[in-house]
Amino acid sequence: MKKSLLILFTLLNFIVYSQNQLPNVKLKNLKGELVNSNLDFQKKDVIYVYSFWATWCAPCVQELDAISEVYGDWKQKINIEIIAVSVDDSRTEKRVKPMVNGKGWEYTVLLDTNQEFKRSLSIANVPYTVVVKNNIIVYVQNSHSPGGESEFFDKLKSL
Amino acid sequence: MKKYVLLLAICSSISIYSQSSTKAEKTKGRLFGGLESNSQWYLNDVEREINHPDQPIRSNNYLLINYNYGKWTAGIQGESYAPKSLLNFNPKYEKTNLSTYYLNYKSDKIDVTAGYFYEQFGSGLLLRSWEDRSLGINNSIRGGKIVLRPTENLSLTGLYGNQRTGFDVGKGIIYGFNSDINLSGIFEMEKSDISVGFSYVGREEKTTMENPNFKELTNSFSGRFNFSHQAFYFNSEYNYKSEDAILYPITISNTFVKPGSALLTNFGYTKKGVGLDVTLRRIENMNFLSERNPEVFSPEQTSLAFNDRMMNFVPSLTKQHHSNLANIYVFQAQKSVSIVSDNGIAKAGEIGGQIDFFYEFKKGSSLGGKYGTKIAVNASNWFNLKGDYTLFPPDYNTDFFASGKKYFSDYNLEITKKFNPDLQGSVVIINQYYDHQLIAASLNIQVNSFIIAPEISYKITPTKSIKIAVEHMWANSDRKNWAALMVEYTNNINWSFYVSDMYNYGFDKNSNLIDDVSDHFKIHFYNLGTAYTKGSTRIALSYGRQRGGLVCAGGICRFVPPSSGIGLSLTKSF
Repeated sequence: MKKSLLILFTLLNFIVYSQNQLPNVKLKNLKGELVNSNLDFQKKDVIYVYSFWATWCAPCVQELDAISEVYGDWKQKINIEIIAVSVDDSRTEKRVKPMVNGKGWEYTVLLDTNQEFKRSLSIANVPYTVVVKNNIIVYVQNSHSPGGESEFFDKLKSL
Repeated sequence: MKKYVLLLAICSSISIYSQSSTKAEKTKGRLFGGLESNSQWYLNDVEREINHPDQPIRSNNYLLINYNYGKWTAGIQGESYAPKSLLNFNPKYEKTNLSTYYLNYKSDKIDVTAGYFYEQFGSGLLLRSWEDRSLGINNSIRGGKIVLRPTENLSLTGLYGNQRTGFDVGKGIIYGFNSDINLSGIFEMEKSDISVGFSYVGREEKTTMENPNFKELTNSFSGRFNFSHQAFYFNSEYNYKSEDAILYPITISNTFVKPGSALLTNFGYTKKGVGLDVTLRRIENMNFLSERNPEVFSPEQTSLAFNDRMMNFVPSLTKQHHSNLANIYVFQAQKSVSIVSDNGIAKAGEIGGQIDFFYEFKKGSSLGGKYGTKIAVNASNWFNLKGDYTLFPPDYNTDFFASGKKYFSDYNLEITKKFNPDLQGSVVIINQYYDHQLIAASLNIQVNSFIIAPEISYKITPTKSIKIAVEHMWANSDRKNWAALMVEYTNNINWSFYVSDMYNYGFDKNSNLIDDVSDHFKIHFYNLGTAYTKGSTRIALSYGRQRGGLVCAGGICRFVPPSSGIGLSLTKSF
């Protein structure tokens, strides 16, 4: 037990950020078209915000709702595109489209039904946000704080 | 010990790689992966008469390491259940070992994997291999997989292999083929989207049974159709599994051999501000395991309890509530045939449906107010298949579109409203019906419950916020009434704290109870904890009591025994 803990901590100390590029996985969008998670989002200087969420994850929905309110303003101020990656499996996948529309979200939505994209980034829990600019991962956020949108926007502006 | 050394060797080699990762851009080599550790220190709880298990400190740990170079990616996953796995995980998860590995080549048109892989055909009713660590599920397939995408509109997959069980693989061989064809792309339709898909899944397992009345190779087929036009969409799929021996009760019977089927239909209408979705499903005898007979660990426990060697995914189509009390009487999809002569339970599957409705009252309207109001309505009803059932010898003959006795229903309404930029509230009202006797083939208990759960969140400063959630449940039987409170304080994006309590009261300990052993008194299930996150790292520490019962994710559940203790979890990706 002690040994395995020791190994874990040794490992943690050694590891630095090495995943500086987003893996490319083919995922369906809400129209059923295949989209490349990385290759189709590579416009120069655009800030791509990949927000991993699920219909059953209350903080995720709260976060996307809150950003939805200010998304129009953000788009006027910075060159940004939000990609809401749903990790709903086939239990709840069918609720994604009516929920996205019902809530009036204007995000690009990708369906990661068997969690291939989520697994390739070793994401344990949602909400989880990965920000990519010029094909490099520039910021990762692994939680949501209610009302944290303005702090997050300041962060995005600084990138 | 050798394994630790091995692990340490792997780790040190990684660390060397990753430290040079800043140079990786030039070489295009890239190292990535993740670490997850979930530990529990089980404590004695005098009031609950719980003694901690023989190994009070237990831990499940996972380390995934991938290396990518151009179109090639290779990866390994090591798992450590040391000194023992958390309570009630599959006993085959023991000690520390290499669990999965793969080598993958991926270009735009071809994707080939050797080693362990994950895959899902269609909605997964015939084949889904995936990993869910909280449930102890990793039914990845060890073998080979090839995906061809000759055009944008056509995708073909072929696979072959054996399914993972513990740190080994099962004896059954799985063959799979899948195609997805985007017709609207081929025929350049601009206004509508039409696609179709076909799958084949075969499972071959030698049998020791003399003169078996079933073939060693079980074949299954699936066809599906998706259509959408402007705001309207419609999808349907039909799955058929050829005749195979049924478990009666936990070993296969040579005289109880039947085919299985699943029909799933989904349609809806959705545009900005409105969403309506209807899902209907009929399942008959769709338990599909890569080895027919489950492994028996003890007289009360088989590998079925751990979702081991499960080839397909039949989720329960009900709303996944985030309310704690709404997850006490939780429905599990009834995919299997179960005939129990002792108590007269006979079921062959399920039939039913679910409706979701989402609506946003516009800002400035009388119900919308200044900031708008959102509502979500959901209803689901699930029944046994109607038919003629014989208890002995076991047999059944079902009607196709007819329902039998009700298993479960859930009617709920959720309203979310923002009052001002700092204050937001929501309320959920839920009515559930749960027939324990029919669902669990156990004691004759039916529960009708009503839950109300209001919640508010208030932004104190731009980074600090507080959330308060209150719940109450009235139930007409079993453990009757519950009250719950949760307070969560977020200090900033890095730190959060919570305290919660679930209080169960008003029941008669001499009445029929689903859990007739533990916690037979008015009990508080208190918990408190904190989480620290930074970048991809998350560390969470908690202390409290765990109610015995089902822990579910995606409609698949794991039974957890009652316990008290301290939990520590750590996740990090790199």
